[in-house]
Amino acid sequence: MYGGDEVSAIVIDLGSHTCKAGYAGEDAPKAVFPSAVGSVDEMEVDNPDNPEDNSGSAPDLKSKGKRKLYVGSQALGFRRDHMEVISPIRDGTVVDWDIVENIWDHAFRECLLIDPKEHPMLLAEPCSNTQQQREKAAEIMFEKYQVPALFLAKNAVLTSFASGRATSLVVDSGGGLTTVAPVHDGYVLQKAVCTSPIGGGILTDCLIKSLEQKGITIKPRYSFKRKEIRPGEFQTVDLDFPDTTESYKLYCQRAIASDIKECVSRAPDTPYDDSSYSNIPTTSYELPDGQTIEVGADRFKIPDILFNPSLVQTIPGMESFAETAASLRGLPQMVIDSINKCDVDIRRELFSSILLAGGTSSMQQLKERLEKDLLEESPQAARVKVLASGNATERRFSVWIGGSILASLGSFQQMWFSKSEYEEHGASYVQRKCP
Amino acid sequence: MANAASGMAVHDDCKLKFLELKAKRIYRFIIFKIDAQQVVVEKLGNPEESYEDFTNALPADECRYAVFDFDFVTNENCQKSKIFFIAWSPDTSKVRMKMVYASSKDRFKREIDGIQVELQATDPSEMSLDIIKSRAL
Repeated sequence: MYGGDEVSAIVIDLGSHTCKAGYAGEDAPKAVFPSAVGSVDEMEVDNPDNPEDNSGSAPDLKSKGKRKLYVGSQALGFRRDHMEVISPIRDGTVVDWDIVENIWDHAFRECLLIDPKEHPMLLAEPCSNTQQQREKAAEIMFEKYQVPALFLAKNAVLTSFASGRATSLVVDSGGGLTTVAPVHDGYVLQKAVCTSPIGGGILTDCLIKSLEQKGITIKPRYSFKRKEIRPGEFQTVDLDFPDTTESYKLYCQRAIASDIKECVSRAPDTPYDDSSYSNIPTTSYELPDGQTIEVGADRFKIPDILFNPSLVQTIPGMESFAETAASLRGLPQMVIDSINKCDVDIRRELFSSILLAGGTSSMQQLKERLEKDLLEESPQAARVKVLASGNATERRFSVWIGGSILASLGSFQQMWFSKSEYEEHGASYVQRKCP
Repeated sequence: MANAASGMAVHDDCKLKFLELKAKRIYRFIIFKIDAQQVVVEKLGNPEESYEDFTNALPADECRYAVFDFDFVTNENCQKSKIFFIAWSPDTSKVRMKMVYASSKDRFKREIDGIQVELQATDPSEMSLDIIKSRAL
């Protein structure tokens, strides 16, 4: 048992797109920064095999020499020659622990300014986390950071509890993944969990491609200089940095496109089709380089991908994903499939407490559309209710907020997996303490 | 043990009063609250009180656990009763309170043995008399 002195715990929710970190007991995470990091290969001179062939994916550590990692929005905001942008997480699981350690370091030492030795850590983990992943996390936390106590809490359970429900169906749509997970009395029903790679990331990429097709190229912020030549009049001068990597360029374009997406798009009330949306009024958006673009049908088409993944096939440039998309199910179908895999006795309760969480769930009209589609497809007797916090921060950070409250409860202090227990029983004891 | 359980303790009185409701039937309902890191009995309803009295006894914007002994007549005209467990977690209550009650529920339910129907309610419509009746049958 961890003795719970007056030191506050640290809560970290490392998602596929953003890392949320902060002190337990607070309303929102103190630090929110990208999970992707910049990597510059320091053996570059001796080892000229080009950085292109591994752009966008985590490079194999062993074949590469030393690399220098840049973590955090600021370090990433600065363009560097040959800097690749890589992510430690693929399909919801950690594939590169070295990067994760760097992200944790950044959170502790640069954002929160704490010594991890002094604070218990609560980590939010995806439902699909394997035993090895959990033990690895425990090992690093206790061995490297010497934390006094640790707890691994499941994303879906935290979201469910934070909404006051021990039983619910959690629809968590984040950056890299959408997960539908039934929670019953605080247990995640693993067999009924459904996931899909369609999250905010895919939607952003589709938007970039769709705009490109219309002749609009998003210029990354580093690639031009904008000067005020006369009051109110600007001049844009293109700059050329031939050593910028493709992955960095894409990272910068995604940042802009994701803002366009958040500003203008909304889920259509009925399934999208080209003909009925061809005359839809457009919305304008001013890009950082000063050009104003008009977004029309894409405002509705992009969000509808969540409901109808096969729409991806109609977007030129997304061919690589189109094949996968054909086999994916839309959000309402995932909900129904997941519920049907659960015991008959709890189905009606799940239908009446469907919780929306995650960054992508803040999309306008998403909740209304999901509820409408489910009403049409669910069994007659079921009473469908989709719930989402009206507060955008609460919706986006529901997992973190749940963890923050839990870790700050007086009664919870006896539940931690403590350092002495780790030393006595080893990393595998995490399965016992944090089931 | 459920994942992310709060570790909240349960006062012995909760068990005792529940046994009295179940075996001696001297209460219509019991309302429990979490106070000073344990679950305690807040209110007791005598057998004459109705379901409406019970719902009125629940605070509108705070979470509670409650047990209600529901008498009804089956389609075969048979007098029966069932014990309901209700997790009352109104949408208007504070996030912290919702979290505390939801994460302590599993443990608390294990302490009181003999619940026949369980429901969670976040607004009064989710625990209306009609719903109680349909769940009892």
